[in-house]
Amino acid sequence: MNTAENRTPLIRLAKRTEMSRRNMWLIRVGSIIIALILGCIPMLLTGNNPFEAYGVIIQGSVSRPVYLKQTIRTAIPLLGCALAIAPCFKMKFWNIGAEGQITMGAVFATYFALFWSDKIPHGLLLIIMALSGAIAGGLWAVIPAFFKAKWNTNETLFTLMMNYIAIGIVAWLQGGPWEGRKGSQLIPMFSDSARLPTVFGVNCGWIIVLVLVVLMYIYMNKTKQGYEIAVIGDSVNTARYAGMNVGWIIVRTMFISGAISGVVGFIIVSGANFTLYSGVADGVGFTSITVAWLSQLNSFAMIAISMILAILEKGSNTLQTRMEVPASIADIITGILLFCMLSCEFFINYRLIFRHKEKKEVTA
Amino acid sequence: MKKLSFILIVLMLLSGFAFASGSGETAAATDPNTVKVGLLCIGDENDQGYTYNFIRGRDEATEMLKADGINVEWVTKFNIGEDATCTDANIEAAEEGCQIIINNSYGFEPFMLEVVDEYPEIEFISCTNCASAFDGRDNTHNAFANIYEGRYIAGVVAGMKLQQMIDEGQIAPEEAIIGYVGAYSFAEVISGFTSYFLGARSVCPSVTMKVSFVGSWSDATAESDAALALVDQGCVMISQHSDNTTPATAAQSRGVFHTGYNNDMTGIAPNASLISTRIDWGIYFYEAIKAYVNGEKIPQDWCKGMADGAVVMTQLNEAIAAPGTAEKVAEVEAAIADGSLQVFDTSTFTVGGETLTHAFALDTDGDFTADSEEAVYDGAFHESVFQSAPYFTVQIDGIEWLNAAY
Repeated sequence: MNTAENRTPLIRLAKRTEMSRRNMWLIRVGSIIIALILGCIPMLLTGNNPFEAYGVIIQGSVSRPVYLKQTIRTAIPLLGCALAIAPCFKMKFWNIGAEGQITMGAVFATYFALFWSDKIPHGLLLIIMALSGAIAGGLWAVIPAFFKAKWNTNETLFTLMMNYIAIGIVAWLQGGPWEGRKGSQLIPMFSDSARLPTVFGVNCGWIIVLVLVVLMYIYMNKTKQGYEIAVIGDSVNTARYAGMNVGWIIVRTMFISGAISGVVGFIIVSGANFTLYSGVADGVGFTSITVAWLSQLNSFAMIAISMILAILEKGSNTLQTRMEVPASIADIITGILLFCMLSCEFFINYRLIFRHKEKKEVTA
Repeated sequence: MKKLSFILIVLMLLSGFAFASGSGETAAATDPNTVKVGLLCIGDENDQGYTYNFIRGRDEATEMLKADGINVEWVTKFNIGEDATCTDANIEAAEEGCQIIINNSYGFEPFMLEVVDEYPEIEFISCTNCASAFDGRDNTHNAFANIYEGRYIAGVVAGMKLQQMIDEGQIAPEEAIIGYVGAYSFAEVISGFTSYFLGARSVCPSVTMKVSFVGSWSDATAESDAALALVDQGCVMISQHSDNTTPATAAQSRGVFHTGYNNDMTGIAPNASLISTRIDWGIYFYEAIKAYVNGEKIPQDWCKGMADGAVVMTQLNEAIAAPGTAEKVAEVEAAIADGSLQVFDTSTFTVGGETLTHAFALDTDGDFTADSEEAVYDGAFHESVFQSAPYFTVQIDGIEWLNAAY
């Protein structure tokens, strides 16, 4: 008895069986509050008033129409890309290559923007750019999917490495064949006909991603293909037993995922940046993993989460301007918030059991 | 659990109040003698080079303007990329009430120009680029300085040192080789190392030069590697057109000499670095801001040189410089200032064995190749006359390009 007790670790983890929805949300809200409190520490260390700083973040992201537009513009690719990776993650296929898929979509869209903008009418050009972006992103994603399906390669590493190839291709285009003024490392700005029109002051990419939200919800929850994805995610063997062609489903799902990322790439170059450079994806492919995860792969929840992250990003920019805090402080605060929000999911799924508590249970 | 949820709700309400009571929006300056100026920088002061030089200019201009009764409130943003973050930074500075917004890097300009039409009452300045001056807008401006003049003088200092080494028998005349670390094979860089080379050859006739491009404006490791590789290829003098101080330390570690750019580098490489040249941005900032406050127009394209103090030399490292260098520098400075010395005098260099008789300065049709305004006249190539940004792209004899990086 005594030895058994000694062997019990101080803290043990146990999977929670059930938890009320109310408590789940209490933990989530609590984690945000804890994050906000922890976020005060770096601000106090740099000698700023944290309340003022949080105020500036809110003001700098939503208080003026211009800022709100910029915030929404930041949220669009996050939302779109989170939608893109959701089916992969549902399938437990860890696609962390969205960055590269966005980039390849952007490259192909840029090709038409640079060389066909004076030959094709505006609307048609945009459709061609979007389609070519989708196909390029999709094909880029199919490469690791094919290897996974055929030889069961590690998709996490494969998709990750594909990112750097895509980024390298853009860096080459930037300094080589597509460069504007020699030595400038800049690809010329798109002409007006290759730019997305704005609706309510923000590029109409927001309409595209909102439509995608609905489509993705229907696809994941109401279609046979969505069901197949869910089954594979739960158990590959069950899927095989049910007669599903797992390899084909992996390739198909990755193509859809990559295609949506490619469209996001098109929206970024045609709606926001108006040119192409190697940092075109700007970490969206990674941040959107957080968005997808925090939203529990629910497409509607992604709208809110991507807005929260966009508010933080835009707001911390203003924080830098007004309070002259270094950019890294703003990054630290964002990091703390994400860390707390993600780790709270851990406490929702597991509970901690302390040793003395168990002792009580034994004696009782 | 109830207790916990109560605490959470209270905390949430508290933090909500805290947000609401956060800082009020800052109003734009209303005092006519106070002007709010945005300065958007590609790096930060820690580079001890390019951005640091702008910060020095900012502080200097602030002092000069204060003496004139003008207060400048600066909004300085650091580490901005040459990408859409620059567009956002310009919007941000405009929304925060800046009346003048200065973009410090070449690659900022296209992104800056995306914003300027939204804010016609705000003056936008793109340093070192060339599209703003000719875009037909009143509120966009370019600025640069005749840095090739300073580089010519740095070249004179280097050439005198090399000649001294030849005279003392330390190296043979044909061993007087300069190694130049350049960022990109770009007009600004080509113009810079050509003027430097001509300066060196004016006092050391046997000098030759090798140029290595690192393909980045700021990559400390690559710059150091390039400098070391040049030393390995026999270069005994290193100079640079890149943002870091690592070429200076690399030169010192191999016991060769160095001349710098943007900042005095004798502090970190006292046994190697002879002198540096830099643009004094304070002169321009002072003129532009003063013009704005007085209700005058900021020049569309501003370019001044040594005569006006816009290009300056840092302190000469007398301990290692050749004797008589200070006097020679003063003499050349005076000659450049009064116009009696042309840096790109066509009688001092050849291109493919021939004298240069023709080169265009400006690109007017947008294909990024110069097509108008003859720059060669009166026996010299006239740099930075038709626009502030350099346009000398000729490859002259005596300079060997080890690679190219576009």
